[in-house]
Amino acid sequence: MRLLTTVMDQSLDEGYAAAARARGEVGKRRLPTTTRGRLLLALGLALAAVVVTVSGVTAHDDEPALARQHDALVQKVTAGTAAADKLQQQVEAARTQVDQEQRRALKESGGDLALTDLAAAVGTGAVHGPGLKLVLDDATGTDSGGGIDPRTADDFSGGRLHDHDLQLIVNGLWESGAEAVAVNGQRLTSLSAIRAAGDAILVDNRPLVPPYTVLAVGDEKRLPGAFQDSSGGQYLRILEESYGIKSTATAQRSLDLPAAVGFTLRLATPDSGTPSAAGSTIAPSPSTTGAAKQ
Amino acid sequence: MIAVLGLVAGIVVGLFVQPSVPASVVPYLPIAVVAALDAVFGGVRAMLDGIFDDKVFVVSFLSNVVVAALIVFLGDQLGVGSQLSTGVVVVLGIRIFSNAAAIRRHVFRA
Repeated sequence: MRLLTTVMDQSLDEGYAAAARARGEVGKRRLPTTTRGRLLLALGLALAAVVVTVSGVTAHDDEPALARQHDALVQKVTAGTAAADKLQQQVEAARTQVDQEQRRALKESGGDLALTDLAAAVGTGAVHGPGLKLVLDDATGTDSGGGIDPRTADDFSGGRLHDHDLQLIVNGLWESGAEAVAVNGQRLTSLSAIRAAGDAILVDNRPLVPPYTVLAVGDEKRLPGAFQDSSGGQYLRILEESYGIKSTATAQRSLDLPAAVGFTLRLATPDSGTPSAAGSTIAPSPSTTGAAKQ
Repeated sequence: MIAVLGLVAGIVVGLFVQPSVPASVVPYLPIAVVAALDAVFGGVRAMLDGIFDDKVFVVSFLSNVVVAALIVFLGDQLGVGSQLSTGVVVVLGIRIFSNAAAIRRHVFRA
């Protein structure tokens, strides 16, 4: 308190009172009368004005600079994403070529139709067929943009679909006879992971944005019913009733599921033997079981 | 008259000459502004009190700016720069407020 009182009481520089006392003229002189005094006052005011305006100008100039930095960063991110997409396309093209070559080589060496089936089963080949389309979305009222403030998000984050929920639902689909499953265009393989980063669900490390479209290829007549009865279907019903998760399941006559991306060979190595022998040694088992998504 | 000219000249210089502020000085600019405002308000109050003195005005302005910047600089070197600049702003801010109140009493008699 004493500190505050002192500051409040001695708000005026004591030098003024001292100077006035020294002159012995209190309450008379309002403005300097001599030219020197006026010049000094003008100098002081000019200095103060310079400081204030320079500060204002600096702060004003910093604003567009900050915006420019932000824009530059956004541009960098966009360019980086575009470059990554382009590389991914190149990978896809190369993979298609490899597939074609593989098929041709197999056909020359007697043919192996089992490879196509196997590729469809493990997810390295695109599949087409009837099945079930499941659209899941967070309950109304939850911020679907992922821009939720972690400080306001309390322990009850009801209404938001989590990675664990999606895992159980997808497992329910497998359980009820689905032959191939894709979530938001991400094909699931035997090595796919459904995980979470913050509030976002990641499938194979790619963030998904709600609503989540789960496509499952399987028997269109049997699959919906089987899913309803599976543990995943029951779990989904609980989610709907208790947490307001929205889901619509529709049987589809024809679904197109893409091939899984980002497969790498881990164990298989090209045979150094003759080309025809190499064709037959590209056995599906090591190349598919050893495939991994990084 | 000369005083007003000085004020206008200062604003013009600040606006149009666009002096490039060195990056090392930028952190002390806000403190300098508060110190400058404090000196100006103190000067106006002293004028209304009838004890204005031009030398005291200029010297107090310069020394306020220098001391405030010095305190913050010292704080920066010791790792408490932001706390010390808060302290400087609080003290000078209170002074500005009470000086403004004194000016108000003079002007409006209330």
